[in-house]
Amino acid sequence: MWWGGRGQSFNIAPQKAEPDVGSQPGFPPSLVGEQILAWAPGVRKGLEPELSGTLICTNLRVTFQPCGWQRSQETPLSSEYDFVLVNIGRLEAVSGLSRVQLLRPGSPLKFIPEEILIHGRDFRLLRVAFEAGGLEPQAFQVTSAIVQARAQSSQAQQYAGISLSKAGQSSGSRKPPIPLLETSEDWETERKKQGARGWRVSTVNERFDVATSLPRYFWVPKRTLDSEVRRAFGHFHQGRGPRLSWHHPGGSDLLRCGGFYTASDPNKEHIRAVESMLQAGHSDVVLVDTADELPSLTDVQLAHLKLRALCLPDSSAAEEKWLSALEGTRWLDYVRSCLRKASDISVLVTSRVRSVVLQERGDRDFNGLLSSLVQLLSAPEARTLLGFQSLVQREWVAAGHPFLTRLGVTGASEEAPVFLLFLDCVWQLLHQFPAEFEFSEFFLLALHDSARVPDTLTFLRDTPWERGKQSGQFNSYTQIYTPGYSQPPAGNSVNLQLSVWDWDLRYSSEQILQFHNPGYDPEHCPDSWLPRQQPSFMVPGPPSSVWLFSRGALTPLNQLCPWRDSPSVLAVSSRWLPRPAISSESLADQEWGLPSHWGACPLPPGLLLPGYLGPQIRLWRRCYLRGRPEVQKGLSAPTISGLQDELSHLQELLRRWTPRVSPEDHSKKRDPNTILSQSH
Amino acid sequence: MLGKGVVGGGGGTKAPKPSFVSYVRPEEIHTNEKEVTEKEVTLHLLPGEQLLCEASTVLKYVQEDSCQRGIYGKLVCTDFKIAFLGDDESALDNDETQFKNKVIGENDITLHCVDQIYGVFDEKKKPLFGQLKKYPEKLIIHCKDLRVFHFGLRYTKEEEVKRIVSGIIHHTQAPKLLKRLFLFSYATAAQNNTATDPKNHTVMFDTLKDWCWELERTKGNVKYKAVSVNEGYKVSDRLPAYFVVPTPLPEEDVRCFQGRGIPIWCWSCHNGCALLKMSALPKEQDDGLLQIQKSFLDGIYKTVHRPPYEIVKTEDLSSNFLSLQDIQTAYSKFKQLFLIDNSTEFWDTDIKWFSLLESSSWLDIIRRCLKKAIEITECLEAQNMNVLLLEENASDLCCLLSSLVQVMMDPHCRTRVGFQSLVQKEWIMGGHCFLDRCNHLRQSDKEEVPVFLLFLDCVWQLAHQHPPAFDFTETYLTVLSDSLYIPIFSTFFFNSPHQKDTNMGRESQDTQSKPLNLLTVWDWSVQFEPKAQMLLKNPLYVEKPKLDKGQRKGTRFKHQRQLSLPLTQSKSSPKRGFFREETDHLIKNLLGKRISKLINSSDELQDNFREFYESWHSKPTDYHGLLLPHIEGPEIKVWAQRYLRWIPEAQILGGGRVATMSKLLEMMEEVEHLQEKIDERHHSQGALPAEAPSLLRSSARLSSLFPFALLQRHSSKPVLPTSGWKALGDEEDLAKREDEFVDLGDV
Repeated sequence: MWWGGRGQSFNIAPQKAEPDVGSQPGFPPSLVGEQILAWAPGVRKGLEPELSGTLICTNLRVTFQPCGWQRSQETPLSSEYDFVLVNIGRLEAVSGLSRVQLLRPGSPLKFIPEEILIHGRDFRLLRVAFEAGGLEPQAFQVTSAIVQARAQSSQAQQYAGISLSKAGQSSGSRKPPIPLLETSEDWETERKKQGARGWRVSTVNERFDVATSLPRYFWVPKRTLDSEVRRAFGHFHQGRGPRLSWHHPGGSDLLRCGGFYTASDPNKEHIRAVESMLQAGHSDVVLVDTADELPSLTDVQLAHLKLRALCLPDSSAAEEKWLSALEGTRWLDYVRSCLRKASDISVLVTSRVRSVVLQERGDRDFNGLLSSLVQLLSAPEARTLLGFQSLVQREWVAAGHPFLTRLGVTGASEEAPVFLLFLDCVWQLLHQFPAEFEFSEFFLLALHDSARVPDTLTFLRDTPWERGKQSGQFNSYTQIYTPGYSQPPAGNSVNLQLSVWDWDLRYSSEQILQFHNPGYDPEHCPDSWLPRQQPSFMVPGPPSSVWLFSRGALTPLNQLCPWRDSPSVLAVSSRWLPRPAISSESLADQEWGLPSHWGACPLPPGLLLPGYLGPQIRLWRRCYLRGRPEVQKGLSAPTISGLQDELSHLQELLRRWTPRVSPEDHSKKRDPNTILSQSH
Repeated sequence: MLGKGVVGGGGGTKAPKPSFVSYVRPEEIHTNEKEVTEKEVTLHLLPGEQLLCEASTVLKYVQEDSCQRGIYGKLVCTDFKIAFLGDDESALDNDETQFKNKVIGENDITLHCVDQIYGVFDEKKKPLFGQLKKYPEKLIIHCKDLRVFHFGLRYTKEEEVKRIVSGIIHHTQAPKLLKRLFLFSYATAAQNNTATDPKNHTVMFDTLKDWCWELERTKGNVKYKAVSVNEGYKVSDRLPAYFVVPTPLPEEDVRCFQGRGIPIWCWSCHNGCALLKMSALPKEQDDGLLQIQKSFLDGIYKTVHRPPYEIVKTEDLSSNFLSLQDIQTAYSKFKQLFLIDNSTEFWDTDIKWFSLLESSSWLDIIRRCLKKAIEITECLEAQNMNVLLLEENASDLCCLLSSLVQVMMDPHCRTRVGFQSLVQKEWIMGGHCFLDRCNHLRQSDKEEVPVFLLFLDCVWQLAHQHPPAFDFTETYLTVLSDSLYIPIFSTFFFNSPHQKDTNMGRESQDTQSKPLNLLTVWDWSVQFEPKAQMLLKNPLYVEKPKLDKGQRKGTRFKHQRQLSLPLTQSKSSPKRGFFREETDHLIKNLLGKRISKLINSSDELQDNFREFYESWHSKPTDYHGLLLPHIEGPEIKVWAQRYLRWIPEAQILGGGRVATMSKLLEMMEEVEHLQEKIDERHHSQGALPAEAPSLLRSSARLSSLFPFALLQRHSSKPVLPTSGWKALGDEEDLAKREDEFVDLGDV
């Protein structure tokens, strides 16, 4: 068996130390403002081995503290034993074999529980049986405390980030593990790395006065002036005008922007600015209607809720009805449509040199999802550990994905786990191309579980503006009025640089080692990319062709902007009209593709084309079925990681037979720090 | 890639998609392209194979694309196969096609492999059978290995169309006599080409010695004996010449009901319990006869109930389990998911993939078989009971379950030789009616039930869940399933060993006619070159560590589960007894009915099953010990390699399990390297490292459908849908098309 047991994300046996003599829970609250509300001795069930310890409820989290297990200073939050209150999806108290009570806020506990089950919204399950059958009053107390604390935390209007009291200090003023893109230098470095020579870093939003949801810096075409940027951005929804997401080494540019603000009445100057920013110097422009063929936010939320219900350990779906129940959640269907669209767009970007503009009304959800997926598919660099983290930081965190709202931390109505949908898509890619990614499934799981952990601000704010405000990083010239915000406590400024990418806050070095995919084939490293000859960049004059990509097909457009009176930008002919795209479910029949000389094989190096057929889209079992004891147990999935365990076992066997063989040449023990902090 | 005979090649070759692209129908192109050069490819005939009819200028459509593209060539029908000659065979000789089947080419369909034939008349598809009044313009052949061929006959001479269509229909659908099987003409003609080691060490179970060997291997010889009472099939023609029965059973009893009602030994467990099978006694109306039957059975049961035998539990498979009808219905629904005529059809069904899959209930049938096998295993292993499988003829579900139980319990059956011997023992000698179940003679569609395929699918589930436990790969299982329809191997072309022997001339006293020497399917060198055969061997398989004799003896009976992996040694939980002692503990642990979703009723038997299942899965797996499958909903999967391999849309270039495999092979090399080092130090014999399949190592980007996808490479269709750019990007083209779509609403 390769995986430690049920519910675990990692196949590392939990640290089991000698039982502690002292009966007091040796639990130093490591978070600022944390108070222990109640605790009770208990035994964690369901996982091998069973651990006895203490169940503790604080005002921030529920945690299980195994006997004698000391939280190390470096990892004050445990990925294994902690349940942040907002993460608790369902609580059940059990007494005997038959009495089960679903604990809702406000409903009194009807009996003294023998066991408590905490179902996480991240699909984890914590099962703790109280000692002596729950006869001790502590069991009752801790259970009630959890119910109450959870109710209170969900009532909180604005979820204030928790900061670590110790970890930040110990790490001092270290460099963040990946560039957080909060300075213009970061953006400049990244721009150079991508080789985007026709672009520059714009500082027009340095004071967040163009848009609070936009980062302070972003990339715009080199010859566009900041005044033009400001002018053009005003005609987009929420001021989110076209910015560069990624520059393809072959010459194409991937842009993203919000919807046109149709109510505005721009003059010719303004329209020209908008058009030139969309065109980005290419003669060929494709506008991608992002929302088309993708689920709505409500759909995503509904599917996720259904999926969670289905994956509960006692879900009502019968074994033989499992498949249709899974289909009924539509989650996999949405995953599939995302992959399909991303695959289409990456072909658009790769097949010829052009400007591809992702346009979504809000530009904060699926634009990020698609642009990240396209980069994963076409840029080997993005498939490295560092590259992927930078990608998420750039396309999600810096680009202003409203994490707090979407993950439902605030309890707002616009909850929709788009980011988790993205992670599922990435997992599908990882599953389909096991040798192409430097990070492992465990890394994705860790990221998945981190989305709701309140230790850093990365996922706890909706916009870069709020994030910056909270961490107190604004320079003195910041003149934004911030009502209702008390100054952060003085001690807080130390975690200025802490982000979710500081994995050692929550994960031990052994776990971090497993972020690395042993199956990553060095042959597919970024160097193997052969950029095609760069055509002369910055074609002056209007674009020669403008297309709308929608329903899997390209339709010619006669103008880029929707406003009346806007002059046609097309150089060739104005006879062309937008035509309704043919409707067809079948992408394979669509009329686009790569130049035929590419033939059947090979694909351009570095480009991955994912499968998105029914049989190819899989359920991410190691994530969603973690709570189902019977599924995860003894699952010997043929992943490379498992194989490497097998290999090391074989080596172990060999060593045992021949004690004289020196082990050093094959035990490639990696230092976790080198993995995550390679030069970038 | 576009050969000379390709019609409509080049840039603008896209499907006649309504209303968008102005398309050219192939016939128009054809008229323009006067020099349709037909590549003459010589027809390779096997010894004894005869050409029956042929037709030229047949267009073989590129299947994956609903467009009208294809390759011209000749369609022939012999008494062995339908073959299309038109592809440039020399293109096949590159490195990538090393997994070529030597007997069946890419465009060959053996007559037995044909499942359904359809004709297209005026764009309508109709199944073809019997005498035709009208001949179709297009022939669609669905194969039993799930390939789909489209042959256009529009440019073929009418005479030839008539001949080839009626020829194909007749030779694939008309009932046949056994003696007319190609098997015999081949064997007669190829009398001298016998391979040196045809069986690959597979135990054939056609001699008394083989049975004794198996008894000894399983330590069953204490309580069971091999008998030769049926030599020359004097007692029964359903039973093999030699078989094994409980030692005290008198031979007269075997004769009593022609071998019916006799417990026949299948396999012995390490604890001495045995798996037995019995065919039911004939159904009688007469009370007297019934009385005789009853007392006979009483006698039999007394014999096997008495010590040293353990208690016998009878599993009646004909009443409480799947019916053959269920299996047939499920599979015919299931296969339709994969037998698709074009991409559009595939995309249409793709949306409802999961529910369609579920409604076929094929996966559920697999689950039920696996569950039953676990139940039987539980009786043998945990309850120390003998299990007697009872079935009408003991030759269908009996074969399936007994072999499945052995695959799960006996690690020997998970080696290739062991698995082949198992198939030989339980299926071939067990008298599974391959001829009827595969409908090789086209005598009755009702009898056609894919029981053996169901077995292979169950084994695939096991192998998929526990890859290191099996010596063979899924490719092995796939080609084995394909071999069911190749009539040069005798293995799957008889209903019983008796039928085989009588038809092979072994029985005849005629001395001048030498007994025919038929090939067995286990001689893989007939089908594959050694290099391709490497793909049948699982590089993941962990061979049993060679312990010295004394040690092995000790561990064997205690059923100690050897820990195979270091990480799973959960030292904290003290080793308890394997089953009984843990029962209480487990019950306490289980939360009510929560975990018992697998089980519908909660009687004692089911509880035992659940405990057994749960307890096994909560322990680390010993790949050389008992192996149980997961049977929960998400765990039963579609055998993608077999069922999806001809569907190009299902291909992931550079991905899939193949990518993992190549990485794995690197690791294997590392291990081998280590091993070599050790051997050097020991100055012992330098054991040659097993050669890992170089096929996998060579190319960086293999298809996920490897090795089968290679065969698709000759299609002119690129991986990405082509033709868009030429058509859309070209301004002239656009302008031209624009004229067709003049919008009067132009402002």
